[in-house]
Amino acid sequence: MNEWAIVITLAASVVAAVPIALGALGELLSEKAGVLNLGLEGMMLIGAVTAAQVGDGTGNIWLALAFGGLAGAAFSAIHAFLSVTLRANQIVSGLALTIFGTGLATFIGKSIEGEPIPTKFTAVRFGALAEIPLVGPMLFEQDPIVYATIIAAFGIRFYLRNTRAGLSLRSVGESPATADSMGISVGAIRYVHVMLGGLLAGFAGSYLVLSRVNWAQEGTTAGIGWIALALVVFASWGPLRVLLGAFLFGFARNANFWLQRELSDTDFEVPPEFLSMLPYLLTIIVLVVLGSRDWRRAGAPASLGVPFVRDER
Amino acid sequence: MIGYTVSLQRRLETNRLRGLITPFVSIVAALIVAGVFLIWEGFSPVTVYQDLFEASFTSRSAIADSLTIAIPLTLTGLAAAIAFRMNLFNIGAEGQLYLGAIASSWAGIALAPDLPGVFAVLVVLIAGALGGALWALPAGIFKVRFGTSEIISTLMLTFVALFLMRYLVFGSHSYWRDPNSPTFPQGRKIDSSAELGTFGDTRLHWGIAVALLAVVVIWGLVRFTSTGFNMNVVGSSAAAARYAGIRSGRVITGALVISGALAGLAGATEIAGRAHGLDPDGLALNLGFTGIVVAALARYNPFGVVVVAVFMGGLRNAGPALQISGDRVPPEVSLMLQGAILLFAIGGEVFTRNRLVISRRTSGEVAVTQ
Repeated sequence: MNEWAIVITLAASVVAAVPIALGALGELLSEKAGVLNLGLEGMMLIGAVTAAQVGDGTGNIWLALAFGGLAGAAFSAIHAFLSVTLRANQIVSGLALTIFGTGLATFIGKSIEGEPIPTKFTAVRFGALAEIPLVGPMLFEQDPIVYATIIAAFGIRFYLRNTRAGLSLRSVGESPATADSMGISVGAIRYVHVMLGGLLAGFAGSYLVLSRVNWAQEGTTAGIGWIALALVVFASWGPLRVLLGAFLFGFARNANFWLQRELSDTDFEVPPEFLSMLPYLLTIIVLVVLGSRDWRRAGAPASLGVPFVRDER
Repeated sequence: MIGYTVSLQRRLETNRLRGLITPFVSIVAALIVAGVFLIWEGFSPVTVYQDLFEASFTSRSAIADSLTIAIPLTLTGLAAAIAFRMNLFNIGAEGQLYLGAIASSWAGIALAPDLPGVFAVLVVLIAGALGGALWALPAGIFKVRFGTSEIISTLMLTFVALFLMRYLVFGSHSYWRDPNSPTFPQGRKIDSSAELGTFGDTRLHWGIAVALLAVVVIWGLVRFTSTGFNMNVVGSSAAAARYAGIRSGRVITGALVISGALAGLAGATEIAGRAHGLDPDGLALNLGFTGIVVAALARYNPFGVVVVAVFMGGLRNAGPALQISGDRVPPEVSLMLQGAILLFAIGGEVFTRNRLVISRRTSGEVAVTQ
């Protein structure tokens, strides 16, 4: 067995998992508040192009990351306004956000297409831990955002389960009328979490241009936003499962390289396209198995996608 | 505590005029917002919009190209409209379109050579519709039997369809791949008998008749048949449907299958009228996703779908056309404008049905129940 191929693949899978995980964690927060946001891909692109422009202009990576995140949050406010205040159809509004985001990002990013961003994250090495075979390079020699993402997942889990604000959030997603009668402001909570979702999506996009690729118009995200959207369901709205799932999805994107080496001596061949299909098929299977008869058992917020109207009933 | 609350209230009367004005206000507002970004990037909005309009709607060939894109958009718009109007969120028209393209190109290669003229085209179109229907069927079954959200399942199946289509041409030496293209893989061409004819020297093809026919058929189905009635009942109230003895499961699955068939038909007209072979990159144009927006802007009305599809077709066509016309305007403007118009139209739509009420809030406010 060729060990370096698997080491490289695993480490690359972690890096590929970060933007998927960040996007999915953001979407999870939004969905927990009852707002489905199909604008994830658009928000990621807006974050990415902002980070690329700021990185290009200032050469400061943290400034680029911060502005990328803020741009994502600001952009998500459009969806919050349309779906929370105006109670528009969330699916249509989210799709329109992705279309607008893609158009706006490619328009703004036209001038820097393909240009190398002068600043990239450097890996933090945890001394001897990085020497551990297989897991060492994968977990203990990565850039700071990898660790921040892992911490964020645990933080969100704690927030949802153990804090009062998290309880309010979940009540808004499950039964907004009940939350409203308890004096919780449904609208405010939805706004905040849609925009937190936008912030994380903005970070996810920024990470893409600041870690691996240059700004490559739509190719920068290449559908990662949609994968993240699927992942939230795949992980049945659990932050730690999102982390694990992101790694699996990241692995599926990188496994070709390793598989082809492994299988080069045999006649057996897995077409890369089938490997790419796997996460999506798995998501459907998980849903069918978990959600039999009752989607809620899979963890979906009961009021997901439903606008809240106080006057009715 | 005294303050002001802003709330939306449903309008008691519906005003047709307001419904017609809203789209125009949305477009103007979007042009202004996009104009700000244009000025920011150093372009003159007036020049850009002028070029945009000329590129899509002034010359004969420009109009023909805009209408050519409107064909699949009408069909995917119908696909979304028929499902969305009964609160079935089939967002997988994109994948159903790919399956329609796969099935119809197979029929065009395998079956068409042995069939006389009209039948060759017909078989290709039917195969496309069947392909799309087949791809929507699991979503219907999963929803009815297991309660799986069709939003997720149709979206997931879209990605599976995308990779399947890529595999057939780029990843293997399948039946769909042109055996004479070893270095640059491309789809095998369908038999010329199965191609939809074009109008004169333009690219506009007879798919336009297929799309318009589909509009009339769907309108008739919804308006005049018991199937359409059942769909309305199931869509508006599951309980009412149960009391009326309507088998909701069948209606839901049926609606998703019809929706998928329409999206598949869009794939078939793309194959028979434009691409003439399975072309994964040339088909993955987000026609399915855009169809949802077309349907929403048309308020799920079949005839409205045609109007919006032509408008969106023009906007989409302007992108590539601008690229050719020189470097005065970046083609990305077209997509940005599409998105901006959509967002304003979605917002504006709300105001046709509701009005914004700003009222003074007093301490002992009680929610008024209707």
